[in-house]
Amino acid sequence: MIHSDNAAPTPQWIGLTWLLPLGLFVLLIFSGQPTLGFSLEWVPSLGVSLAFHMDGLSRLFLALILGIGAMVFLYAPGYLHGDARLPRLMVLLICFMFAMIGAVTADDLVTLFLFWEATSVLSFMLVGFDNEREDSRDAARQAMLVTGGGGLALLGGLLLILHAAPGLRLSDLPRLDPALIADPVFSAGVMLVMLGAITKSAQVPFHGWLPGAMAAPTPVSAYLHSATMVKLGVYLLARFDEAMGATPWWEWSLVTLGSITALWAAVLILRERDLKRILAWSTVSGLGTLTLLIGLPNEWSALAFNSFVLAHACYKAPLFFVAGNLDHLAGTRSIDNLRGMGRALPVTAAAAVLAGLSMAGLPSSFGFIAKDVILTAKELADSLWLVGATSLLVSAIGVAVAAVATIRVFFGRPNDALCRDAHKEGLRLVAPPLVIALAAVALGLFPQLVETMLLDAARMMSPDIVFSNADVPALREAADLSTLGSMGLIVALGALAYLGWDRLHQGLARLTFLDPYGPASIYPRALAALKRGAGSVTRALQDGVIGHYLMITLAATCLLMLPLLARLEPAPSLRLDALEAGRIVGAVVVLTGALLAVLASDILARLLAAGVVGIGSALVFLFSGAPDLAFTQLAVETVFVVVAAVALRRHAALDPAPAPGPWRITIAVGFGLMLGVLLLALQAAPMDSSLGDFFLAASLPEAHGSNVVNVIIVDFRSLDTLGEITVVLLTALAAWPLTRALRHKGAIRR
Amino acid sequence: MSALLLALCVAAVAAAGLYLVLARDLVGVVLGLGLIGAAANLFLFAAGRIGGLTAAFVSGPEGAAIADMANPLPQALVLTAIVIGFALTCFGIALALRLARLGGKADADALCSAEPPPRRDGEPGVLR
Repeated sequence: MIHSDNAAPTPQWIGLTWLLPLGLFVLLIFSGQPTLGFSLEWVPSLGVSLAFHMDGLSRLFLALILGIGAMVFLYAPGYLHGDARLPRLMVLLICFMFAMIGAVTADDLVTLFLFWEATSVLSFMLVGFDNEREDSRDAARQAMLVTGGGGLALLGGLLLILHAAPGLRLSDLPRLDPALIADPVFSAGVMLVMLGAITKSAQVPFHGWLPGAMAAPTPVSAYLHSATMVKLGVYLLARFDEAMGATPWWEWSLVTLGSITALWAAVLILRERDLKRILAWSTVSGLGTLTLLIGLPNEWSALAFNSFVLAHACYKAPLFFVAGNLDHLAGTRSIDNLRGMGRALPVTAAAAVLAGLSMAGLPSSFGFIAKDVILTAKELADSLWLVGATSLLVSAIGVAVAAVATIRVFFGRPNDALCRDAHKEGLRLVAPPLVIALAAVALGLFPQLVETMLLDAARMMSPDIVFSNADVPALREAADLSTLGSMGLIVALGALAYLGWDRLHQGLARLTFLDPYGPASIYPRALAALKRGAGSVTRALQDGVIGHYLMITLAATCLLMLPLLARLEPAPSLRLDALEAGRIVGAVVVLTGALLAVLASDILARLLAAGVVGIGSALVFLFSGAPDLAFTQLAVETVFVVVAAVALRRHAALDPAPAPGPWRITIAVGFGLMLGVLLLALQAAPMDSSLGDFFLAASLPEAHGSNVVNVIIVDFRSLDTLGEITVVLLTALAAWPLTRALRHKGAIRR
Repeated sequence: MSALLLALCVAAVAAAGLYLVLARDLVGVVLGLGLIGAAANLFLFAAGRIGGLTAAFVSGPEGAAIADMANPLPQALVLTAIVIGFALTCFGIALALRLARLGGKADADALCSAEPPPRRDGEPGVLR
């Protein structure tokens, strides 16, 4: 329950926001256009465009986003009446609605990812809406980490897919080249996409965040965490179903994952006492069933998937509103206290009963029709008996949950204290659940209203659906008596589970060995392991030893350069040219100096070896048409060796450091070789010499100097030279006090 | 031939320089940095294309043809680099000697008072 003391006048527009999705919903229903698409250039160089495409599957999801959205927008101002944070909630919800619209109509893969991430971020902000409560912040962070991590997997997967098939659009998926589907890169991409989808749709083992997200206000739970956002994962899986349907691992992993999720969530339902969390777990269970249905191979499963998406939204959203009303008006969501609330909240009770009918799959509700199609799909799939038994159990628990949310809460001997104190039901609070629940009943009585939409959606997953004949309304054909036996069994089992609910609850609560496998335990453990892992990696990489840092940097640079070097083609010419003789002598001197520097054990000998390298370089410069360089190098080297030798006279007295180990030598040699190969490859590559030609041509007429190198230094690039002089001066200034201190201390010691 | 030799020079000088830097002797580290600078100069010089063997002196229409001349741009860059490298190495030597004088140790890996190594129990090290 959310009440704020600092009540502020609510802006007028807040109460009317629900007209926006409602208008779009009406437009969608009556537009009747089967497919629609457009594309805007965005990053043409990367082949990324803002491409949108609307087909049957998009339309079904759009209908949910807009239809349920209108009711949520109607409900929210009533639920947060007088709360100063209401405008924030409405703005976030509107943003979320548009993010969802973008996500289910995106055609370009990168566009899809963009909207997908937007829904994750908005979900984070909405779960953490009550940001002054710690559990709310924790739940928001968990939702963000899990779905955000899944989003990273999704991005990787989409990029791999785009690598295997450049420019692929979601609307191309049903007509993929079989060679592409067999491509391991594409398969790896699809696996990562699947990983992203199952985090979004809260499949085991990522199921923990969804019940935690119940910290959000009820309108958010009804909208994001039952009707729309959590279904985005299964939506994306459904998009890939036609392409991947024939792949064995796709089918098996989805069926296994979906079954485990549905069953596990059904068991966890029985461990809860909070009505909202019970509904949340049943949503996880429903999402498991949806995943399972995508995995089933026949065309009935496509129809069953879409029917269940619609049916689930049409009963779960009203039930969330009912839970919200109980919380808001009676002040509790615990099924231990809620009894006979029908007397105090009669309209809410009516909505709950109608929605409960659909959830239990009783005749005359749309849930009945959806369940019938699901059972037909499962019977035709001749899959493992285990899957059949699982879904029987899961459905029975679903019936029991429906019974708990209706009979247990609203009927029987009233809880007098609660009923007396309950507030009156406002129109905004009761209209949305009632409207959606009534719609579910209407669709149950007249399924032909949504038949076209569902078949259009199913054809996106299974294009050659055989029962598309307009003379045989598929949904009514399905609702024959063939599955009535299973349904009866489910209802009977559900009734048993309802009657024994408290006993089952106590029994399961005693099974404390389950706790380590529950979501409440997996997530904090994973988080702690992440911190430990990050700590040990940091300590290994950042141990405070400068030499190790240098080694890591050099080794990483070498590794990064390897693919580049493999692509370049060094083509050294072994032709000996008489004109190059001087340069070759210089190079030999340089090589000798380098060898001496390594072999010398005395620091003064090393200094001399460095001098030899410098003199060799000067020779190379001299015989390469660079006399200025040669003179500078020679002068600098001479001065340096003399000055350093004087300074180093007493250094030998210090403790010598240990010799470098084999790793250090390997890295030094490897990096040197990498530079050499890189230089050879660079020299073989084409070169644009226009800059050098410009200086040669412009030196005399523009700068009136004939030594081009000098002209560049003091004229064309004189600002650089000014900077250089400044550096040299600053160095001298910095070195002066250091050397003075050395002399000073030395004098005292002496 | 000389292209291959120059590449070999760059590889050998850079490897020798890195060897000295990784060999931990403080003054050796500075000399090693100087050697790496020399390798970088040779690399820059060769990668910018040497051009002809005639020095880049232009003296009007009667002088040598521009096509035979050396490429002046890498020379100008390397000239700057030589001077800067000299200044850096001199400063490095002064710093190294001062450090060695203060600590009495010439081991580069022992210089970790700015970022102390983590303790045995995994907790971060303490600044002294």
